[in-house]
Amino acid sequence: MTDTRTPQPPPESVAEEVEAAHSFSGAKEERGTGRTAEPTAASAGWLRWGWRQLTSMRTALVLLFLLAVGSIPGSVLPQQGTDPGAVQQYFASHPGLAPWLNHLGLFNVFAAPWFAAIYLLLFASLVGCVVPRTFRLVGAARTPPPRAPRNLARLPQTSSYSSTLPPEAAVDGAAAVLAGQRFRLRRSGADDRQRDGASHWVSAEKGYLREVGNLLFHLSLLGVLLSIAAGGLFGYKADKLLVEGQSFSDTTAALDEFHPGRLVSGSDLPPFSMTLNKFTANYIQSGQSRGQPSNFDADVSYTASPGAAPGTYHIRINDPLSVDSLKVYLIGHGYAPEFKVTGANGQVTYDQATPFIPANTGTFQSDGVVKAPGTATGTDLGFMGVFVPTAISVGGTLDSIFPAADNPAVSLIGYTGNLGMNSGVPQSVYQLDTTGMTKVSGSPHLLAPGQTWALPGGKGSVTFVGVKQWVSLAITYDPGQMPALVCGILALAGLLLSFFVRRRRVFVRAVPAASGSGSVVTVGGLTRSDAGGGFEEEFSELAAEIAAAEPAGHSEPEPSTKPEPSKQSEPGA
Amino acid sequence: MFKAKRRTVVTVTAALAVLLAGALTVTLLTSGNGKASDGNSVTDGNSVTYTAGHRPLAPDITGTSLTGTAIKLSSYRGKTVVLNFWGSWCAPCRGEAGVLALLDKQYGAKGVAFLGDDVGDTPANALAFTRGAGISYPSISDQGYAVVAQLSQVVPVSDTPTTVVIDKTGHVAGTIIGAVNYGEMTTLLHDAEVTQ
Amino acid sequence: MSVNLGFAQASNDFLIAALLIYSVAVLAFAGDYAFGRPRRTAAAKAAAVPAAARLATVGAGAASGSAGAGSAVGSAESAAPAIPAGSGTGKVPAPRVGAMKAIWEAGPWVRVAAAFSALGMVAHLVAVVTRGLAVDRAPWGNMYEFITALTCVAAIFFGYIVVRYRAWTLGVFVMGAVVLALGLAETLIYTPAGPLVPALQSYWLSIHVTAMTLATGIFFVAAVLGIMYLVAERYRARVAAGKTQSGNGLIARIPSSAQLDRLTYRTVVFGFPVWTFGVIAGAIWADQAWGRYWGWDPVETWAFITWVIYAAYLHARATAGWRGARAHYIQLFGFASLITNMLVVQVFITGMHSYAGVS
Repeated sequence: MTDTRTPQPPPESVAEEVEAAHSFSGAKEERGTGRTAEPTAASAGWLRWGWRQLTSMRTALVLLFLLAVGSIPGSVLPQQGTDPGAVQQYFASHPGLAPWLNHLGLFNVFAAPWFAAIYLLLFASLVGCVVPRTFRLVGAARTPPPRAPRNLARLPQTSSYSSTLPPEAAVDGAAAVLAGQRFRLRRSGADDRQRDGASHWVSAEKGYLREVGNLLFHLSLLGVLLSIAAGGLFGYKADKLLVEGQSFSDTTAALDEFHPGRLVSGSDLPPFSMTLNKFTANYIQSGQSRGQPSNFDADVSYTASPGAAPGTYHIRINDPLSVDSLKVYLIGHGYAPEFKVTGANGQVTYDQATPFIPANTGTFQSDGVVKAPGTATGTDLGFMGVFVPTAISVGGTLDSIFPAADNPAVSLIGYTGNLGMNSGVPQSVYQLDTTGMTKVSGSPHLLAPGQTWALPGGKGSVTFVGVKQWVSLAITYDPGQMPALVCGILALAGLLLSFFVRRRRVFVRAVPAASGSGSVVTVGGLTRSDAGGGFEEEFSELAAEIAAAEPAGHSEPEPSTKPEPSKQSEPGA
Repeated sequence: MFKAKRRTVVTVTAALAVLLAGALTVTLLTSGNGKASDGNSVTDGNSVTYTAGHRPLAPDITGTSLTGTAIKLSSYRGKTVVLNFWGSWCAPCRGEAGVLALLDKQYGAKGVAFLGDDVGDTPANALAFTRGAGISYPSISDQGYAVVAQLSQVVPVSDTPTTVVIDKTGHVAGTIIGAVNYGEMTTLLHDAEVTQ
Repeated sequence: MSVNLGFAQASNDFLIAALLIYSVAVLAFAGDYAFGRPRRTAAAKAAAVPAAARLATVGAGAASGSAGAGSAVGSAESAAPAIPAGSGTGKVPAPRVGAMKAIWEAGPWVRVAAAFSALGMVAHLVAVVTRGLAVDRAPWGNMYEFITALTCVAAIFFGYIVVRYRAWTLGVFVMGAVVLALGLAETLIYTPAGPLVPALQSYWLSIHVTAMTLATGIFFVAAVLGIMYLVAERYRARVAAGKTQSGNGLIARIPSSAQLDRLTYRTVVFGFPVWTFGVIAGAIWADQAWGRYWGWDPVETWAFITWVIYAAYLHARATAGWRGARAHYIQLFGFASLITNMLVVQVFITGMHSYAGVS
């Protein structure tokens, strides 16, 4: 919306000149100051004043500022939507401040009502600007260009030449050239000649695409907003953690997390199922980047629906699997050491690869918990473990020096007692509640793969069987994604048009030559003083072309004496 | 003049429409939970009962039990089936197991069969639990939630545990999402007995 | 994926060379600024004619010898009215004298500065390219590479402006800023050449980060011009208020505030669509890698904030009462937001975008 007015010629010029330049600028700007229009009748006046304020440029500016400033806390404070754990931590570490921030909605800025108010008002203001401008554009596209000013020499770009043709024919030739360049034309009519005498003129205008681009850009932004809303209503996101060898079906019960859009329910999930066959992570073995991951590959088999032909895929980061309209992404990975726990009587109470959560993403030292409920009350066994993929002992402390499972080891702290799982109250699978349990002596106990720790007192044993890996997958469906992209591209196209197309006018006027035969043709050009320069080159080329279109016998186009120094041919230049 | 007035009306309406629609959508997006209800069923909290004549047909569920034997739902035709989705890792499932074991003992001889579907679990862990909890009815080993997906096509099985009661003709009479209590189950069983 | 250590070393060497060469160029620009041939004679002649929006006097139509091709400097400009009627289309006329001749005629300081700048740009470009060859990918995978690349863009873009508009006095400011940025990259932010983490192994790196690099380089130039505008504007106001003589002082030698305003605007106009494209490309890549095209990740949020602020600048320029200095403050806020995003948010605030490679 770059609406700078073309500077006006001195006021004593003919009215047409003013008109020629004036109607270039949108009347938008007047409204922009917000200083016009006093209320007339009581409420209607207030409404009108309010409306004018809302759609003024200044309000748009203020709202843009607010939008920018309002986004800042959303990036600095932990946000509920992306990291609820961090929000909890913030509450814990700032007990006085956090509740106030929460009241202001600062832990969920982008869903907060005040943030919504900002962008909704901004878009209302946008619509309030764009719609009248659309009407105006349609109107301008229908009105013919203004009359050519009498004195073209006052225009910023001008040149003139003598022609052997009579005025009308000369102007006809010029009009043909301009029409060839896709200018819109207006020719002098009989009543014009009554006013002007014997001169003919043609007035040409071009560059409506600029405003079209402008409107397209702003409307596309609205389109992006609508697409985001559609995605939020009809789309959904889900997470699932899978250990090698495991499979799952796309149902809400199976998913670890399910965030449906407002109008989505569990039964909308397409019935696909997937098995993780193998996960491979490669790390750089040597050099300065040793330990940095070089490749991740999740080898999966899947069926799009029960009974459908199975397919296989290698899901990598930047390479999701598309099933139906869903996409499955590889988000994270980790290690799942496999444990077998036997009770006092030797019967197996637990045998599973247990996902451990990495505490250090460089070395993949991971933490986890094993819960093996016993048959009799009070015979539950629980273990807190630290797993290291490539173990070294640093002064007695277990640590990992490389993220690949080259030398796995696990250190376990054992507990016996009551895990509390039979009470029916849900527990996290990654946390062990040790109230009601006693620590086993001899903890912590280090195990290599294949080793068994026989618990003292005959309480049972735990064997570290081996190591598997797990992946975390994100499953997403967003119907607003493609529309948002299309609108984004349209917005960019509109932006480019509005920046680099100029509205410009060219006038050609021919008066009979003083010598009696032929005519003196003056060409004048006008554009908005704006971004892309280059109208001057375009104008001189155009003027040259108009002159060249004449049949032989005319003089070279000569720039008239102008304030523009570039037009002065200086001696010794 | 008239034209200008019409333009203004259009513009104002458009802007207000954007404001209102936007406010509505934002409110919609950031609050509340979806709830669906059906004209042919009664939803009461976490349980849904289907009235006779409007019961969806249960799919033909097959699987392998925890001990390796084959199981087919169709072989239970003629009995009321209580199909319970559970896992040994799931605390509410462990909590309700006592109720199910008791009901199995009481109604087992009266034409009600109990069947489990063990999800997200390993057979070793599951068997360790059933042994300890006194559950003697078989469970399908369903680590990959395949049976859940199958049944979800017909009735919502959105969480673990979920209990589905299937009547003698193989139609779903009701579901309870979450841990069951004795009273709920007996009511559901009696409703299921009402044939269509 | 192994690193070609030969190229990596070459890249480091060429970058340090570029840094040193640029420094000499900056000194030469400064010398021209302080001691260069006075160009007021050309300006005095121009004063007879409304100076309008030009940064160059065409032709050497100066009463005294060869000073003509230098900038028509501020002293005459500041005395002239803002934008004279009838000529105020703001076009900068294409100079008629060839670039090489203009550089030669601008005096020995400018010749040296131009030569060293060009040499420095070549060394800089070689440094960027060899870095890419060393790691067998587009050389903007971490903060160090990003800064090296964007300063290269800024230097080249700026070189184009200086030559096109004969604005030698802008040289010391922009090239000085480039030297500072490169120094920062070399010392604090340096990361040895290495392969990319898997999340960055995508052809989108070439698209998204390239666009952001370009846009940042362009906005960098706009910011420097904006600061110069504010200085020039203040000077002009002081002259107009009679507090200062429009003499041959240092400040008088930079282009007029009107010219700087227009140049800044054009630069931002050039950079804004590139930034928009970069954000869109980033969203497409985010969807490909993380499963959602916009998640209000801190870096995404600040890219959005930057975009909004530059949009505000463009709106301000079309709003009465907000043109001039106020608009430039907005533009500088936009660049501050961009720098915050690059150096503070990406490094210190954890999110999915933490690929800076800076520990």
